This record gives sequence, C-alpha cells and structure tokens, in this order.
Amino acid sequence: MLQRLKGGRIYDPQNGVDGDVRDLYIRDGKIVSAPVHSRQADVVTDISGRVVMAGAIDIHTHIGGGKVNIARMMLPEDHAADAVPRGRHPHIGCGHAAPSTRTAGYRYAEMGYVACFEPAMLPANARQAHLEMADTPMVDKGAYALLGNDDFLLRAIKAKRDPEYIRDYVAWTLNAAQALAIKVVNPGGINAFKFNQRKLDLDERNAAYDITPRQILLTLAEAVRQLGLAHPLHIHGCNLGVPGNLATTLETIHGLDGLRAHLTHLQFHSYGTEGDFKFSSGAAEIAEVINRNGNISLDVGQVMFGRTVTESGDSMRQFAGSIHADPKKWIGMDIECDAGCGVVPFRYKNKSFVNALQWAIGLELFLLIEDPWRIFLTTDHPNGAPFTCYPHLIRLLMDRSFRNDMLATINPDAAAASRLASITREYSLYEIATMTRAAPARSLGLDGFGSLAAGSNAHITVYQEHDNKETMFSTPEYVFKNGQLIVRNGRVTEEVQGATHVVHPQFDAGVDNDLRLYFDRFMTVRKDSIQVSDDEIRDNGRGEIVVHPTTPTC
Amino acid sequence: MPPVDTRQRHGPHTDSAVCPFCALLCDDLILRSNDDSSFTIRRNGCSRAALDFSRPATDEPPRVQGQATSHDDAIRVATRILKKSRRPLFGGLATDVDGMRAIINLAERSHGIVDHLHGDALTSMTRLMQTRGWYATTLSEVRNRADLVIVADVDFNDRYENFERHCLKPQTRLQGGRAPARKVVFVGTGANSPGVEVDMRLGCSRDGLGEVFSALLAGLRGHRMDARRPGGVKPAAIAELVEAIQAANYCTIVFAPGQLGSHRESIIATFCDLVDAINQQQRAALLALGGDDGGQSALSTTSWLTGYPLRTEFGKTLAFEPQINRTADLLATRTVDCLLWTDAYGRNPTPPSTGVETIVIGARPSASRRPPAVFIPVGTPGLDHGGRLVRTDSVVTLQLVAQRESRLASVAQIATQILDSW
Repeated sequence: MLQRLKGGRIYDPQNGVDGDVRDLYIRDGKIVSAPVHSRQADVVTDISGRVVMAGAIDIHTHIGGGKVNIARMMLPEDHAADAVPRGRHPHIGCGHAAPSTRTAGYRYAEMGYVACFEPAMLPANARQAHLEMADTPMVDKGAYALLGNDDFLLRAIKAKRDPEYIRDYVAWTLNAAQALAIKVVNPGGINAFKFNQRKLDLDERNAAYDITPRQILLTLAEAVRQLGLAHPLHIHGCNLGVPGNLATTLETIHGLDGLRAHLTHLQFHSYGTEGDFKFSSGAAEIAEVINRNGNISLDVGQVMFGRTVTESGDSMRQFAGSIHADPKKWIGMDIECDAGCGVVPFRYKNKSFVNALQWAIGLELFLLIEDPWRIFLTTDHPNGAPFTCYPHLIRLLMDRSFRNDMLATINPDAAAASRLASITREYSLYEIATMTRAAPARSLGLDGFGSLAAGSNAHITVYQEHDNKETMFSTPEYVFKNGQLIVRNGRVTEEVQGATHVVHPQFDAGVDNDLRLYFDRFMTVRKDSIQVSDDEIRDNGRGEIVVHPTTPTC
Repeated sequence: MPPVDTRQRHGPHTDSAVCPFCALLCDDLILRSNDDSSFTIRRNGCSRAALDFSRPATDEPPRVQGQATSHDDAIRVATRILKKSRRPLFGGLATDVDGMRAIINLAERSHGIVDHLHGDALTSMTRLMQTRGWYATTLSEVRNRADLVIVADVDFNDRYENFERHCLKPQTRLQGGRAPARKVVFVGTGANSPGVEVDMRLGCSRDGLGEVFSALLAGLRGHRMDARRPGGVKPAAIAELVEAIQAANYCTIVFAPGQLGSHRESIIATFCDLVDAINQQQRAALLALGGDDGGQSALSTTSWLTGYPLRTEFGKTLAFEPQINRTADLLATRTVDCLLWTDAYGRNPTPPSTGVETIVIGARPSASRRPPAVFIPVGTPGLDHGGRLVRTDSVVTLQLVAQRESRLASVAQIATQILDSW
C-alpha cells in the first residue's frame, strides 16, 4: 500500500530541508520516493500547513532498570496524583515522575517520540532493564552499559592490562548486556564510596585501586573509539551537583584531548562558586569551550520546577544529596561489584535560589551552545524533570518573550545572577528538529531514524502549527511509526512494540575465559547467567533486536 | 491442549541449573535426572532444593469441582468464573516474571486485586521504602566487601542455606581492594543457625531484636543505655559489637523479613536506623533475604507494569491499598468473590480456606478436602519450562531453562489462554 502525506511543511535537517512544502510517500514502513504520478497513492492524508518532522528520539531518559523500579515502588504519592484511568490508554497505568512502563511508552508516543534510550544499565541488572523496556510499548529502545566502577575494570587498569584487553572487556560487556553504547558515571567514585571515600575529583585516587577518574575516563573513551561505536563514551562526570564543578568539567574536556565524548546532563556539571551564595552559573565558560571543541556533544538535563525523583547510579553524590530529599526518604545501594544507585525524591522550587539558577543554567547552555547537532534536548528524565515537560521546554527555547515571563517568576537573586534575560536567541523549528531528531539519530548511529529521506523508516510526527509551542509539541496531530498510524490528535490509537537497538562488537575469547573464572571465583552468579541472549530480546516474536554495525579502528 | 512447551534452551548452554525454590536463585546446581522425571542434586544444592527437585512433574489432570476434565474445559470454566466475578483476588502468585505479566493482564481485565503469598513481608518492606528508605547492598557485595556481617536471626534451616557458601564463608573473595578478615556475628535465637559458623553470638529472642539493635544504635551514638540487658543481652556484648562496628570498613546487616514476625516493620526500621547512623562516618548496608516463591519477581513486575507494588486493585484507576488488599483479610471479610491461586513451585498448593469460588493454577494438586472449583496443572519455571526470576536483592534477574521434557503449560500460558477465551 502506498500512502501519501500531502502538503506538509518538512523540517528534515539530516537532508537540509528547512520548511519546504513537500509530499511524503510511505510504503512497507519506509519513506519512499514520490511515484511518477501522485495519484498512484492508495491512501492520501492531507496535512497541508502542518509541520512535519521525523519521529523524535530521547537520547537520555531513565525508563528501565533497578533504580527506576525502586522509584516506582517508593512513590505511591507520585502515582496517585497522576492516575491514568482505564480506557485512556490501551492499558491502565499511572505516574508523573516515575510512571509505569506502559504509561511511559504511551506518553512518549503521544508527544511524537519513537525511540528512547536508557542511559545507565548495569550489566548485573541488564536482564531486568530489558524486561522493563520490553514492557515499554510504542517506542524503540536501547541502553548504555555502565562501566567505570566495576571491580573487574578497575583491577585491569590497576594491573596495567593493555588497551586491547580493556577493549575486549568493553566489547564483551556490550554483548553480554545487549547495549548500544557505554556510559560511565562518576568514574571510580561509586566504587570509592564503597570504601568510604566521600568525594573523588578528576585526579584524586580511588584509594582501593590507586587509580584516578581521569585514567578511567581516558581508558574507556579510547576503548570505545577503538571499537568504533557510533556513540562516543557517554560521560556523567565527577562532582555532579557540586558548586565549582565547572572546573572539573572543563578539565575533563581538556583531558579528553580531542577524543570524542558525550557529556551528559551537563547542567548539573556547570556550577561556579561566585556570589553571595557561593553558587553561580558556569554555563558561559562551558559553552565557550564546547563551541570550540567539536569532539564534544552533550545533553542538558534541564531542570523544571515541581516534584520529581532523582535516580542515579552515582551513589556517592546521591548520598550527599539525600539530605535534600523531599519527601524525607531515599534509597541507596551498592551493587554487585558493578556500580551503585541512589533514588532521592526531590522538589525543584522556583523561589529557591539554587533551583532557580539551575533552571537558568540549563537554558543558558541551550542558548549559548551554538551547534544544535551537538546538544540534545533532555531533562535527564526524571532527574531534572519528567519527560512530559519537553513541550514546555521547547517553548522556553523558541519563545524569548515567554522565557522572560518565566524568568520574572523565579527567585529574583537567581534571575539577577543569570545572563538569561540578555540572550536573544530563539530556536527555530529546524533547530528543534535537529536536536530532537536528526542529531541524536546520528550520534547513536541509528540509520533510518531522524530523517525523512527516501529509504528512512517511516517514523513521522505531524504537528499543527501554533503560536504556543508548548501546545503544538504536546499533542501532535499524527504520529506514524514504521508507516503505521499510532497516535492521532495526541491520543494513542494503536499499541505497537518497538525494537531494541544494540551493538555486537567482536572480542577475543581470552577475556571471556578470564571473566568466567572471575565470576566463578568472586561473584554470586556464573558469567553465563548474566549474559542476555538475542533470543531473550526477541522473546518468541514479541520483541525485535536490531544490531548496528561498528567500525573498529584497530 | 496447551502448546507443548518442550525443552527450551535459550541463551548460552550451561551444564548447571538455576534453583527457583528460594530467592537466592543459586545458578550452579548440578542435577541428575531420575526416571520418574524428578532430579537428584549432585552438587551445590541444599536441603530445600533437594526436596523440591525430588518431586516428579505432576501428572494430575485438570479438574472442575474435583472431577477430571479436559484442559479446554478447565480453561472455559475458569474464564466463566472470572467473568462472573465482580472483584477477584489473584493470590499466591508463586510464578515468574512472564507468569506475572500475564496475571497482571488478567487482573486488569477482570478488575481484580493482586497479592503474593508472602505479601505481608513484601509489603512491610515496600512500606518502609515508602516512608523512610534505606541503604542496601547485594549478594556479591556482601561476599567481597563486607568485613563485618551481622546476621539478624535468619533461620538458615528454612531457606537461604547456600548464603553461607556464597556470602558468609566463601572460598575466594576479591583482593583487588581491601579485603580484611571477615567477622560474622549472629544476633538472635541460636537454634536457628546451627550450620553457620560465627565469630560472635548475641543470644536473644526474636522479639528482643529491636531492643538489641536500638542498643547498638545508642552505643554507636555514645548514648547511655538505660536497659540493663537490652533484649536479654549483656551490655558488655553490646559494647563489643559496637566496637566491632566502629572498627569495620563495611558492615552488613542481613535479615529475612518473612521470619521476623508481626513486628517486623519496627524491627527492620531499627536496622535501617543503625545503617544510616554508621553511614555518617563509615560504610554499612542492609541485605534483606526474601521474596521467595516468585515474590520478588511478582513485586518487581507489578511495580514496573502498574507503577505500584503488590496489593493493588485494578478499578477505574489503579488503587494501591497495602493495608486493605491483604489476602487473609479480603478472604475473611469476603470483600472479594473469587480467588485465583497460583503456585508454580508446588510449595503452597493449598490456597487459604475460603468460602469464595477458587481457581487453582498449580504444580501440585491441593491437599484440601474441599476441591477448588477449577484446578489447572502447570509446570515449574526452570524445571518444566523456561522463565525469568528476580533474585532476593532485586538486582540480578536470572534466565531459567527447562530441565526435563514436559507437556505442562506455564502460568503465563494458562493466564493468556483465559484472557484469550474471555
């Protein structure tokens, strides 16, 4: 069947199309070239005047795995305040900051998203993360495997094992956990916290292993480079949330010395110590360095005001932050010689100097970093805010007048301490399409995503243009996934299952043998037991696995 | 007939089996098949596993009102009962992740309530999580990191026998970090741990646990203790353990919520307080042993699929009522009109005595004199068919593979068949 979407305004940055009025044709789940005669289409949908983009992609959202499920269990109050009644979606659900898997999938689709990536999957917890993602309908998904605090790697670095050995271990991890990329969280710090170190700066030594975060970062970034993964090392750096961490972040960028890297939720790592409160924005300095260093990409982790829950692998920093828990409860965990986690409910208040400045710092980063191909729209769901805030965030970026209205409502000291009022930039639709579609697809190596060219997957979101961009991006008129209409006027019309995106780089069998012995000697499960197989992802036809190519550099 | 669930071997082939019979999920059992479809454990088992693996697969037919019938008829009658029910209870829930996924769908369709047979213990933990939280750890961390393990009256006769082999007294521990000598302290009724070698023992009754741990907390904070013998323990012994805690790099408190009786919530809160206090200056964490009979899997799966833990009702919206939606109370007050009892492990084949219509999906027939309205035989995950189970620490989830040829369906298949014939 040939389907024609007629007369939409196309924003397709991967192909340089900026608002041109064109027809799109869909056949067998793909976008195809226009036929010789337009009348050949079997179904024609008139979308004249509508804004058309590829389906959106969230490059960093905590949607599945142990800490996400802890947040669900510990926050019934979050759910009761945001119930999804029977009949609203194909399945009942709930949850504002920590929604059920199904509710998360439906809501993402209803905002025009077609793929979401869980950024912190512990290899020890990978099977559960995949089970949760399998129960997240509508969207494609994938996950980044967490390394950098696991005793196996730290032992290997301490023992000065050669880079090939580390590379093989990283490759084994990607295969075993069925991951798409590698993430590092507070390199060495989570491990150090198990030995009672309370902070670990870039060049401070993890006392147990006598190695530094810098060594871990460079080791992993180099392994990822050698394996030729599309997505560079995904870095949650040292000192998250600590005033003055701006210096650590800048030093991290310099230390990478041109190696590609993705700095995640950078807002939480862009703090200075100026002013009466010894807390200030470092966004301008960070932005200046990012603008000069083309090897760095980032997502922001924008803060929005209201209740949420912070879920992080960074047990060291979450322990420190737990005094701010609101309500007063939190869970911390040391996990399987692999990593850790901390789940701390939190309320960002617009009258709080710190919270208000965090909000402003995030927006400053968005507006001062020039290249939308290297900056991605996230709230680090749910750490800065639930993903459902994205339409509001887009309005803040596209509408200076609205932004300034909001600025006038926050803590006045924070507003005065921010340069936000002086920034005139407004994002264009083309730039929004870049940062939410084209760029994340390219960064993750997702061929066929983030593009409306012939041959691409027919993941298409159609919006009714509106002056209020929050309204516009909240309720797309049509969302197509693989050519199938799944959302109409912001409501799910068809439940679909998404695929799981992974890489399977090759590795030498030697490391596999070492890991077998390591697990047998030290762990409480066997190595084979934590490996997630392709068949488990496929799950008798319920799931689909998409293995993306890698291009090893040596 | 249900589809034949033949020997599914997903993933890497292994010569060892995962034991589904307690939440430790030991994955290194070496089995020998017997002619009657039972197994003898050759290595790495425990007394509980030996008993449970020694049961042959059931050859019991499906039954309606005690009379043997066809599989299709049993499904039809079960569906009819559930359709008629205004408020069914899905109890037992001794199944795996896939079984829970299907049960949740069935509960949603039938406006039911879900609660596990270990619901009291599981709910105590979720309530503590929802009111104060804690700092926890996992099995491999305890094995390698902990230099002081305080075992709070865990009865290793009953279950978790292999905890000693895996975590308390392992032959090998990581030496990459600091791995000082391990000290194991047992607090509780010594009769419960005859097999466990300990370095120090504080004898007290189960009811005295709260007092002993409060005294440890007071000692750690430097407070004077008013009770002369907190929980019946000499102050000198308390002081000695406080010193051991202060000297430790990584202290772990191990307990089994299901074994702590009706005051478990306040006792566990004391453990949480102690760990929080230690963590101000040093490192400590809790390890709860529990969630057997698929309990941890039921809790985790329900939470991710609905947002809420167990004891949730599928009404117009989801309603999480941990105090009200308790199996025993719902049945005693007849506020449910139907019970669907699931027991895929054959350890709890007899549902609670109840006056409401009962459907049993079980690996063994009920021993009760009054047969349930419907009995549908199923296999056991990890013996008759594959499955996924969440371990006690809720971090590691294991893939189980069938160990014998079996025609028995899984809970997931039965629940899905009921849903399909709705």
